[in-house]
Amino acid sequence: MDRVSFIRSKFAEFYEENASEIKPPSSISQREFGFFTFKENIVIRHKGFATADALRSFIKQIVPSHAYYSAAYYEMPEEKMENKGWLGADLYFDIDADHIPTECGKIHDTWFCRDCGFQGKGVIPQECPSCSGKKFEEQKWPCEVCLESAKYEAIKLLDFLMEDFGFSPHEIEVSFSGHRGYHVHVESEEIRELDSVARKEIVDYITGVGLEPTYHGLQGSTYRSTVISGPNLDEVGWRGRIARGTHEFLQSASRDDLEDIDLSKKVIDEILSKRSKILMSWEKRGPWSLIKGVGIETWKKIIKRSIESQSARIDTVVTTDVHRLIRLPNTLHGKTGWLKISFPTDEIERFDPLSSAVAFKRGEVTVYVKRAPEFRIGEETFGPFENKKVELPMAAAMFLLCKDVAEVVD
Amino acid sequence: MTLTRTDKAKYPFLTDAAEEVKREDLDIQSLDNPELESIINRAIERIEEALKTNPPQVTYREREEDTEIPSFPVAIILAAASGSNYIKRRYALAEARRAYELLREEKKEKFLEIAKAFNWRIKCPENTIGGRRFDFALSFPDYLRNARAFHESRFKLVNRPLLKGEVYLTKREAARLLREEIQRRIEERLNADVRSILPENLLSRIEKLKEKYATHAKEIVFEGFSKEMREEAFPPCIAQLLSAAKAGRHISHLGRFTLTSFLLNIGMKPSDVVDIFRSSSDFNERLTRYQVEHIAGSRGSGTKYIPPSCETLRTHGLCPGSYDSCKGIKHPLAGYRRRMRTFKKES
Repeated sequence: MDRVSFIRSKFAEFYEENASEIKPPSSISQREFGFFTFKENIVIRHKGFATADALRSFIKQIVPSHAYYSAAYYEMPEEKMENKGWLGADLYFDIDADHIPTECGKIHDTWFCRDCGFQGKGVIPQECPSCSGKKFEEQKWPCEVCLESAKYEAIKLLDFLMEDFGFSPHEIEVSFSGHRGYHVHVESEEIRELDSVARKEIVDYITGVGLEPTYHGLQGSTYRSTVISGPNLDEVGWRGRIARGTHEFLQSASRDDLEDIDLSKKVIDEILSKRSKILMSWEKRGPWSLIKGVGIETWKKIIKRSIESQSARIDTVVTTDVHRLIRLPNTLHGKTGWLKISFPTDEIERFDPLSSAVAFKRGEVTVYVKRAPEFRIGEETFGPFENKKVELPMAAAMFLLCKDVAEVVD
Repeated sequence: MTLTRTDKAKYPFLTDAAEEVKREDLDIQSLDNPELESIINRAIERIEEALKTNPPQVTYREREEDTEIPSFPVAIILAAASGSNYIKRRYALAEARRAYELLREEKKEKFLEIAKAFNWRIKCPENTIGGRRFDFALSFPDYLRNARAFHESRFKLVNRPLLKGEVYLTKREAARLLREEIQRRIEERLNADVRSILPENLLSRIEKLKEKYATHAKEIVFEGFSKEMREEAFPPCIAQLLSAAKAGRHISHLGRFTLTSFLLNIGMKPSDVVDIFRSSSDFNERLTRYQVEHIAGSRGSGTKYIPPSCETLRTHGLCPGSYDSCKGIKHPLAGYRRRMRTFKKES
């Protein structure tokens, strides 16, 4: 059986058994649904369903490779975009390893130039090193480092949402996206009607865009550019984040790190030689007036770095788009064969996507693997493989098949 | 909420206009009753004050509740009857600015009551932030709905203390936000169609007022772009700003700068750019002309300005979102030129 037919048959089996688990969004009749299909590779949009059962039997019938619903509520979800009658939208956040510089350097991702076929690994370059082309095909791989980095960003985001924005855990749903990221869904009457300009302000708050430290406690004298005071570690909101980020940075920054943010040699020497004194100072009023030669402008450079580490790297487009389609919880991701799966906010630290999102738990299948880095499913590690015929548990085989790096051996 | 007569005189928009007219025994049909002349005169005066002051502001007459209270709903009816968007917007702004001045002097408890009449979720916080005490804590959606017109960095949400869903504010800041809410509320009331029920002599008074201020109240005079400019080729950010300007909606400082510098750069004459802003309720010909000419480089330093980049526009919330047609574009002028090339190819 060819690869796509095999995947589709397994997806069909899965939905036959588990469609009842598919979690419809609230106010289902006001949502738009969208699907990708395997065979014709077409998009079905502007679908509406009156009940959860209607949605589930539709999914069983068409067996989509991807299933989505709208964050928005519409009067008439099946109409054309301009006639739908927008009523509001939930607040959505998407965290994807794609947007996070990770320690793995995305070395597991491969790409090739669509013009000349030149191949490379890691992050896609601005232009092809061989022909200067700008169009690439890419093959992304969800490695453990990527998944952990995404989770860390999600944890920071949850802190913003609960501490700063005051949402309660029952208004927030966190999910693993089914590939290499997390979705955070806020459903609350009070934010439903916010337009994209207001949502952009929320995005800027969370990403620290436009943040001016002098509004968060950094005070100085304009005449001698000496700093009088700054925020402290235990403070709320961005004040505390600025202090904690600055503390972290000054605790561990190497000479290179300090050079990176454009500090003068004199200031760098001063910081490095006073390191322990700086750390001690946090017990009282902080290091803000402690370092010779460090005035308000220099602190701003240091704080810029701490904003980068304390902000959450969310996909800004998803949150500001009030018509966005979002993957439906408990459906399969066609590029991994994993589930989009939700879990309580307080379990995020312990959550293991590579166990929880596994859908295909029964049987084995022999596949021919072209090339795959080492990967883990549940407790078991597989690979690396290169041009190898191997019998694998269904979950591992489905992952490689969905990733298009393996074929089924009859 | 218990409103004293002084409160009602200061904030007449808090009560339902129709009800107020009824309570004061003012029948719209009998609005030409000579006994009501002082009320009608004050109503006309309210509108006239809005038209002749700059920035527009209606005055507050202390201890004249008998005319201050009923003249507001009458002025609303008259301004609505004018059918002029300029008069309506300018009157709403002038009343909102009047309320702002009074609110700033109000006791916190009274301020809370008034804000709550607009369904604001607001309170006086007990806690301090960074050792500082704030007058009010306002729910962030209420904040965002009203701060959207401001683009000063201190009003950006990321620069505000925000704790458990509440934005911390001084009384002055809260009053400024409430001014926006009040202006919107009054504008909504002004949309009623009342012309058919007004007595003739009142209609003629409002027509006279319109004539008197006709030069100020030039309704959209902008006639279109020259052949070399194609409005269809404007990137979405500029199209959005332009339609806001034409409709006389409030545009932030950066928004005005963006629109002005864009239009000048694609070859529009400064005087034509000035005309675009004419519908604005706080339009000031001399000031606008100066600013436009400054951006054009014919004043001050002589520097000719170009619009901000897409990145900057995004940061300030002026980018309406990622449109396919903007793909790969980093500057609104580049977007315009690319679209122009496509148009030329097509024609």
